[in-house]
Amino acid sequence: MAKPIDLLQGTLDMLILKAVSLGPLHGYGVLLRIQQISKEQLEIQQGSLYPALYRLEHQGWIASEWGESENKRKAKYYRLTAAGKRRFQAETEKWNRMADVIAGILSATPEEV
Amino acid sequence: MTLGSRIRSWLRATVQRSRVESEMDAELRFHMEAYADDLVRRGVAREEALRRARLEFGGIENAKEECREARGVHLAETVLQDLRYGARTMLRSPAFTATAVLALALGIGANTAIFSVVNAVLLRPLPYDQPERLIQVWHSPPQRSFPGMPTFTVSPANFLDWRKQNHSFQGMSAYGFGRYTLTGSGHPEAIRMVAATVGLFSILHAQPLLGRGFLDGEDEPGREHEVVLSYGFWHSYFTGNPDVVGKNIQLNGQAFTVIGVMRPEFDFPISKDPHSRTQMWKPLAWTDQERAIRGDHNYAVIARLKDGVTLRQAQAELDAISNRLAQDYPDDNKGWGAIAIPLRDDVVGDVRPALLILLGAVTLVLLIACANVANLMLARALSRRKEVAVRTALGATRRRLLQQVISETLLLACAGGALGLVFAHYSLVLMVNFLAQWLPRSSEIALDGWVLAFTLGISLLTGFAAGLLPALHMAKSDLNQALKQGLGRTAADSSGSRMRDLLVVSEVALSLMLLTGAGLLIRSLWVLHNVNPGFDAHGVVTMNVSIPTNQFTEPAQQIRYFARVLDRVRNLPGVQSAGVIDSLPLSDDGSHQPISLEGRPATAMADMPEVEVRLISPGYMDTMHIPLLSGRELDDSDVAGRVGAVLVSESMAKSFWPQEDPVGKRLTLYFFPELTRVVVGVVADVKISAMNETQPQATLYFPLAQISTARGESWRSFGMKLAVRTNAAPLGVAPALAGAVREIDADVPLLNIRTMDDSVSASLSPARFTMLLLGAFAGLALLLAVVGIYSVMSYAVSRRTNEIGIRVALGASRGEVLLLIVRQALLLALIGSVIGMVGALSLSRLMASQLYGVRPTDPVTFVAVAALLMIVSLAASYIPARRAMRVDPMIALRYE
Repeated sequence: MAKPIDLLQGTLDMLILKAVSLGPLHGYGVLLRIQQISKEQLEIQQGSLYPALYRLEHQGWIASEWGESENKRKAKYYRLTAAGKRRFQAETEKWNRMADVIAGILSATPEEV
Repeated sequence: MTLGSRIRSWLRATVQRSRVESEMDAELRFHMEAYADDLVRRGVAREEALRRARLEFGGIENAKEECREARGVHLAETVLQDLRYGARTMLRSPAFTATAVLALALGIGANTAIFSVVNAVLLRPLPYDQPERLIQVWHSPPQRSFPGMPTFTVSPANFLDWRKQNHSFQGMSAYGFGRYTLTGSGHPEAIRMVAATVGLFSILHAQPLLGRGFLDGEDEPGREHEVVLSYGFWHSYFTGNPDVVGKNIQLNGQAFTVIGVMRPEFDFPISKDPHSRTQMWKPLAWTDQERAIRGDHNYAVIARLKDGVTLRQAQAELDAISNRLAQDYPDDNKGWGAIAIPLRDDVVGDVRPALLILLGAVTLVLLIACANVANLMLARALSRRKEVAVRTALGATRRRLLQQVISETLLLACAGGALGLVFAHYSLVLMVNFLAQWLPRSSEIALDGWVLAFTLGISLLTGFAAGLLPALHMAKSDLNQALKQGLGRTAADSSGSRMRDLLVVSEVALSLMLLTGAGLLIRSLWVLHNVNPGFDAHGVVTMNVSIPTNQFTEPAQQIRYFARVLDRVRNLPGVQSAGVIDSLPLSDDGSHQPISLEGRPATAMADMPEVEVRLISPGYMDTMHIPLLSGRELDDSDVAGRVGAVLVSESMAKSFWPQEDPVGKRLTLYFFPELTRVVVGVVADVKISAMNETQPQATLYFPLAQISTARGESWRSFGMKLAVRTNAAPLGVAPALAGAVREIDADVPLLNIRTMDDSVSASLSPARFTMLLLGAFAGLALLLAVVGIYSVMSYAVSRRTNEIGIRVALGASRGEVLLLIVRQALLLALIGSVIGMVGALSLSRLMASQLYGVRPTDPVTFVAVAALLMIVSLAASYIPARRAMRVDPMIALRYE
């Protein structure tokens, strides 16, 4: 397994939105899902996960409610709101465009310049 | 972000704070436990799993703080926290808290008190509908005859022409004050009556509570026997009986019908205190003869501007009308203009400068109080450095620290504001008692909603201002250094002490400015106290023998009446001498009259010189101890049918007959032309209307026994002032005097029984009042500055203990150590004083109108005040300096 890489500044919000877009999750579940999808290649600071969740909820992209976890404990579940869904699409588009542009720049050869 | 979600999370955070907080705890706990469960499943021991979960999560408090912040509710919540924390800190150091709160309470209290006066007198609209459109119209008299007098009362004919010819005013009404006596039930009562031409109530937009106002045509002679009552008079005299309308009352022996009662708030003209409110209004009915009077000016005029007309336009039109009238009637009107003054300026214009000076003074006091609290906070920042460092290490942000300090000063300021309100309440009670005599609208002074809002506003502002410097300073301290060095010195220290030096310098400068102002007022009051009024007030009692207008139908009756009064009074035990005069010195109601001198070219009335004219009886000069400088006094031989005799004042003698002996010169009074009068003596000048008169006023005295009907008018009898010199306590003789006067005629009201000493003192009371207040504020400023200097020097000594220890160890004497500290204090005081002097020099000029016999740049005051500040600074630094002297070098060197 490769050494996990640190998260790019500002991308945590997008990853959380992606994680909960696949179905409601509690905070710990979000962490697990991101790690699972990234095949354990991303290191997320546990301490910074919750402020991000609170921020997204405050902004209205996600909503929360209390439910029961797999092992019968009370847990707070987050799900994507309609506004969050639009936001996530916009963010994804923006990200893809930027990734393309940056990839193009980085792969440029001397002849192309 | 949607608005709804923001509001929801705000609401949740503020209303359900504790629930949100416990949910957050539960959520984080769930996270740890779930993670630990996973670890246990992978074979880690339970204990170890929990430990690792906590460890990997990182700073849990930090995360919580960030969560709170992320919710966007940080401010509301942390402010509460900070306030609670601030309150706890304040209670932990009661001495600090008491000093700061007291300083702020004094500053805020003084501001609240003065603001409530300014609010009631200067800011609050006058109690009429659209008061800003109400205008007082006066004559502006020719400056040659009336130097320095901006306004003059108005003559009937000129008023009627103004009213007819102008297009600027919706209405104009002339009014005057009548002397009326109400009889019919017990003691005769003198009534404060205003007689006004029709239109007064409609100009003021005033509706009566009962009955009606005046109707057109009721200002014609014969139809004017009607009165409208004030609410207060109606209540006290008629016990609020609603059937009063239509009733008859006896005024000056004639029947008047009550036609209406005004509302409680109605008062016109605006009175100074509730006890001098007008009690009745009646129509002013001029006879045709009176309507033609142009040269005798006796009325005030109120008018209301038409919509859309500006004051300037009205003034321009009045100027044009006056010019026309001056051309048409040059004899009477040459040089007489008209001036329109907004009613509010007319009412409060005189007191505005004094009030603004006091407002400025309390602002300075508040600034000093602010500086003081900032200073105390900075001093405390030193002892709290470690606490701040710990808080920073635990994740407090810079903003959070700023907020913390400001919350504390806000809390202090609000406590100060609350206490200040209490101070303001009591000082207002005290002030209004003093003020009532000279401050218009003083009865309206109250701690009302505006004042409370003002107090809240300045409390918050003060809290911010006092907290800003210490907050910035605290947030700047370096975390690592502070933690490492503990209570030792850091780089931020020196910037802190520079800041504190700066604060002390500004405190000294501000107090010097205030002290200078107070010093100048004290000096001028001192000069005023020693001014010779020209008469000897001590032992003299005076009263108005206010016989009703028209009680006597011819001059001889009035002359006889007062002769009998004097005769009776002079024979009372304890009375040395007695006399009457129509207007006593230091009062405003005297008359100005044109005169012509024999042997000088005849001129129109408007070109004649004007002098103060007083009507006296023999014995008056003697009673007042006004010295006779040459010639003889008036005596019992100066009566009707004999040669007219007059006395002139020294200043009149000098200005009319500079090189000659005035005795024997002949002159004529314009309004009493049938008698040529001869100057028989010269008497000393007296203060005519106030103690602070700078120019003696040319005055002529003629005997009551030679009075006649004024030119062009019909005879009206009038009251006189009785002056009695006693060899007992003046007021002790008063009841016997009053009894003697009533024996002659029981229906004559006696008003204003007072000693002449009281009149002198009352004439000084506005000056004394301003002086006392400004003096009190300056004293307050000085006290605050002393506290400031003391705390800075104490701090400096504790900071330099080490250095002093080394100095002592190296052989410095105690005296040298003392000098070291005192020198530092004096340097600060000196810099502050120099800055303060510059400020005081530029500000004291604004006070010129309040000064008498002292220039605004009076060097004695400036030097004395600076010296006082130096001495006080010395005293304030002495205690810390003595502490420095006693520093034990062994302990000092081990100190850090």
